Amino acid sequence: MPESSETTIAETTVVLPAHLHARPAGQVVVTAARFTSTIEIAYGSKTANARGVLALLALGATAGETVTIRATGPDAPQAAEAVATALRTTT
Amino acid sequence: MSGTVGLVLVSHSADLAAGLRELLRQVAGDAVAVTVAGGDDDGGLGTSYDLIRDAIAEAGSGAGVLVLPDLGSSVLTAKALLEDHPDPGVRLVDAPFVEGAVAAAVIAATGADLDTVADAAEEAWHARKL
Repeated sequence: MPESSETTIAETTVVLPAHLHARPAGQVVVTAARFTSTIEIAYGSKTANARGVLALLALGATAGETVTIRATGPDAPQAAEAVATALRTTT
Repeated sequence: MSGTVGLVLVSHSADLAAGLRELLRQVAGDAVAVTVAGGDDDGGLGTSYDLIRDAIAEAGSGAGVLVLPDLGSSVLTAKALLEDHPDPGVRLVDAPFVEGAVAAAVIAATGADLDTVADAAEEAWHARKL
């Protein structure tokens, strides 16, 4: 791995169209798994890794609230955007 | 190796197993094979060696099968079955029934291998609800 392949950090926010309940949480995990970046979802003072459906559910994020998606890794921008899209479109 | 890891839900209650399967479909989609062994051979509360064996055969996809029991005799019967028919591709996991199944199904839907899916189920012990 060459030194120049820097780790990128990408951050984006989403206003949830629905509660972050079981189905959207499942979609986040499936979407996040397509990328190599580490992806976290932050809501208030809580942060959950996007690979853990139970942790995502435990965020307790509700419709109309804003969550922050933070991706770290070589494909961070694409990863953050894909997870944001999953959250915006899964109800 | 092809497909995703399959899950077998072993419960004293056919309704409980079927209801959990319905929940898993909603959370993880249809990509993951989830089969159930609920109740005894007569449809009452209990466990059935034969139903568990059939459910394992039905869930098999080549990528492995994770067996999740609810408690008590479900655990013992599944354990006895796997001791009688050892198979490295079929694993009994010690996890909370609902949370472990949800965590495992979602990870299985990503195409993860049996070790990863089993780990996800066991990690459910540490997931707080509040």
